[in-house]
Amino acid sequence: MFTGTLWKSLLKQLWLPVLVFAVLLVATAGSTSFYFPPLTRVLAALWTGLTGGGLVGDLLFSLRNIAFGLTLATVAGVGAGLVIGEVRLLRQATAPLLDFARATPTVAFVPVIILTLGIGSGPKVFLIFLGSVWPILLNTVSGVHGINPAVHETAHSYRIPWRLRLLKVVLPGALPQIFAGIRVALSVAVVLMVVSEIYGSPVGLGNFILQSGSSFKVADTWAGTILIGILGYALSVLLLAAEHLLLGWYHQRPTRARRALRPLRMRENRNEVLSP
Amino acid sequence: MKRGSSLIVEDVRKSFGEGPDEHRVIDGLSLRVDPGEFVCVVGPSGAGKTTLLRCLSGLTRPTSGTVRYGDSPVTKPVADIAVVFQDYRGSLMPWLKVWDNVAFPLEGMGVKRTVRKRRAEECLAAVGLSPAEVGDKHPWQLSGGMQQRVAIARGLAYEAPVLLMDEPFGSVDAQSRFDLEDLTLSLRRQLGITVIVVTHDIDEAVYLGDRVIVLGGRPATVIDNLTIDLGTGRDQIGTRADPRFAELRTRVLTQIRGEKAPEQVPKAVI
Repeated sequence: MFTGTLWKSLLKQLWLPVLVFAVLLVATAGSTSFYFPPLTRVLAALWTGLTGGGLVGDLLFSLRNIAFGLTLATVAGVGAGLVIGEVRLLRQATAPLLDFARATPTVAFVPVIILTLGIGSGPKVFLIFLGSVWPILLNTVSGVHGINPAVHETAHSYRIPWRLRLLKVVLPGALPQIFAGIRVALSVAVVLMVVSEIYGSPVGLGNFILQSGSSFKVADTWAGTILIGILGYALSVLLLAAEHLLLGWYHQRPTRARRALRPLRMRENRNEVLSP
Repeated sequence: MKRGSSLIVEDVRKSFGEGPDEHRVIDGLSLRVDPGEFVCVVGPSGAGKTTLLRCLSGLTRPTSGTVRYGDSPVTKPVADIAVVFQDYRGSLMPWLKVWDNVAFPLEGMGVKRTVRKRRAEECLAAVGLSPAEVGDKHPWQLSGGMQQRVAIARGLAYEAPVLLMDEPFGSVDAQSRFDLEDLTLSLRRQLGITVIVVTHDIDEAVYLGDRVIVLGGRPATVIDNLTIDLGTGRDQIGTRADPRFAELRTRVLTQIRGEKAPEQVPKAVI
């Protein structure tokens, strides 16, 4: 029975992507355009790149940077966010600074960081960290701030020590919003990953599409672009799985109770760094 | 259950804001609750009942005057006082399972997990819930009345000789309310704990309490301190039909509404 419902829900989600894929396949089949080669040729380029070419090395390089950058940003953002969210004075003091940091597009830092830190892996991790730490930090702060005061009263009246309070009250209470922050951070991180590799890098997926593009290997360029899309999508699916694992209690609750718990659903859409 | 001490409030004053914006909620309030007593504090909305309870539990400090538990001043929450809040939806943590919620105060004391779980199951059973049925559920999967039972179980797990309850049955349906009232009475009988219930419901206060303290005025102070001589064995049908019950509730009601003196009210009201 379980597999039956699983199949049904999969089917409901998959028919459109499959259709789009099929339409693209048919529409580009006989294409003679230099810039829009047949999808089959793009996929073939992707396959040879991944099996024989250097694409695996590029992919791993990019993946490692984004993994390091996001992990660092999550640890730092959640850590600092918990402290700032808990201490009112700190929250007030840091608010203008945080808003400024959030409003500054991190891509603007790319030239200066590469100029000062060079073109290795380090500055790229740093850039990804720099861009993705803000949405996580801000969401953590507002998540902590948005916890029902009754929860704090309870913890206080039962004399829960601060470490336990942080671990079993504040962190889980803010977790729904922390995940919202990480989701935003992930899309920012993918953008920065590509941009940092386009600007100055001998390896990475960004470099791959730049190089193949400037040497007119159009099928390769498309293949790299699709691979970046797949990478971003795979990471967000991974994140969603982690969220369902950690936030089971939150997603199973009736929606009314959920809204009562989390009145602030801001910032999710205000953080798109590259939006025009 | 160890025997507690008296809770003594002396000339407590509580204001919010300062200067011209100062809003005095409680003024010159004194009361005393002895170990083993069941006291209800009743008053109209906005009479500072919750503020008083917060002072009693150490969650807020009075602007002046003292709250003492035995010989020691209550300036922050103390180990001997457990609090059950009105808002069970907010005070039970939705991310913890029911048993973990009940055992949470024990975790704060550093009690081991296996011991915690056993104790939580005992307390759930004591409030009439089946640990096997509800223990591994989340609070929001239970009805309002059951959630408030869980909150009471958590208060019991804390093993405090004094239980403070703030409008504990205000947000549950009428039937659950009667059940919870009787549960509280029987817990008090079995455990010999001191219970202080803050409520705006006069009938509830008279039904539950050995003593009813009536708050009134703005800022609030004690306007009556009434011994309820209805005996210890109370039941929802008999006690509420008792003429003495009607007399007592009438007296409290007239005082709260600031009308005629209770003596002048005819006996057969209701």
